[in-house]
Amino acid sequence: MSVVETNVATTGAMATGANSPAAAESWQPSILAFACHWCTYSGADLAGLNRMEYPANVRLLRVPCSGRVNPQYVLSALGKGADGVLVCGCHPGDCHYVSGNYYAKRRLMAFKRLLEFTGLEPGRFQVRWISGSEAGKFRDTVTRVCEEVRALGPLTTDQRQALADPVLAGAAATTQAGEAQ
Amino acid sequence: MSDSQSIQASLRSRAAELLASDQVAELIGWGAGRFPDQTTPLFITQADQAEGLVYSEYCQNTLGKYAITELSELVADQGKLAICVRGCESRGINRMLKDNQIERDRLYLLGIPCSGMKNRQSGELLSKCMNCSHKNPVIYDELLGETVAEGEPDRFGAVCALEECDRASREQYFDAAFDRCIRCYACREVCPVCTCRECFVDQHEVGWQGKQGNTTENRFYSLTRAFHISDRCVECGECERACPMGLPLMVLNRKLVKDLDDLFQAGEAGLDAVAVNSLGTYDVADVEEFM
Repeated sequence: MSVVETNVATTGAMATGANSPAAAESWQPSILAFACHWCTYSGADLAGLNRMEYPANVRLLRVPCSGRVNPQYVLSALGKGADGVLVCGCHPGDCHYVSGNYYAKRRLMAFKRLLEFTGLEPGRFQVRWISGSEAGKFRDTVTRVCEEVRALGPLTTDQRQALADPVLAGAAATTQAGEAQ
Repeated sequence: MSDSQSIQASLRSRAAELLASDQVAELIGWGAGRFPDQTTPLFITQADQAEGLVYSEYCQNTLGKYAITELSELVADQGKLAICVRGCESRGINRMLKDNQIERDRLYLLGIPCSGMKNRQSGELLSKCMNCSHKNPVIYDELLGETVAEGEPDRFGAVCALEECDRASREQYFDAAFDRCIRCYACREVCPVCTCRECFVDQHEVGWQGKQGNTTENRFYSLTRAFHISDRCVECGECERACPMGLPLMVLNRKLVKDLDDLFQAGEAGLDAVAVNSLGTYDVADVEEFM
């Protein structure tokens, strides 16, 4: 949980700063990708070894298994600054823990439908199976998700609106400066 | 004598017998409230208190969840706990049995067939009763009164109507709803499925639930609550009735119930105490949409 918060807080702060009208053109989406240690994270590693290029907007968060991804992580990330969330795991049948991704599949299928039902754009929460050898699929997936989220624009949340408010943002900056001293 | 009056008469006499014979140590039913036609949950332990029991068309409260706290305070050899169960309560009882929250052999269930409860002020059928799929209790030890005919409920009407709207209007609809939420957690308190000893919203050190009273935090709470009960929701509608701000909570619950049924043939929860939850299992042949 603390990992999720730290990670998203960083990306969220970046995106928030870019939320002001002056910086609208330079806005960059921040996307949190949960990557299963055994497949997708290795796939991402392989993409790196092969010098493949993909957008830097995606922050990888390594988890032991896609079944470890509590749907609350996704909601938390979207509420705290991520514009999109991607969950990646081993292909069904390939799970290191035998069945983790089968449970994740059921859970996330239902959860994705619930999020979309309550108004989230489908592109903002995606799930993909990427194996350790699919470096190309990792690059393509990440690039596509990034472009889709970029097209959707920043996700509006109360936290961002508060930070975009000059009075509240000023107060926050003063507090941070005070803490630094 | 109307149906509910005859049920009230037999409930009072059976309650007195059960308590007098020490078969039952405590009985949970309904008693008269402060206002005309208002009822409130009533907990009795003596046979002479049975005259205080009320059964009418205005027994809004679902009693099932009281079984957990009452059983934990009742010494096992004192006798059983008797509860009045209608369709909704009986499914909640099944759910709590399945979740190992209560023990069947410590319960005595007085089944009551129910045609739906009414709002005492407007006289209209409660919204939670409108699309009831089980008017007769699905589990009981004895039945008071005659079984009633099951209707043809349109459980997913509201869900389907919203699904047909475009995304922006759904977002607007739910934002407006979550904006009203005051996070009193009444929906959690009354839910027969929300039985965690420590709820995620109370884990302050972990900090799942933020402190701010804003739409984002309210959405986080409502969606997580709905998802936590998704494959176990017995559709009693008590959360929506208890909500002081009128949030459409059953729409969220039924959306999940509907999807899980469409995708994994989950069926209705709480019809027995043995069925496996659809999210607690998997099938290698499940639909694939994440490839």
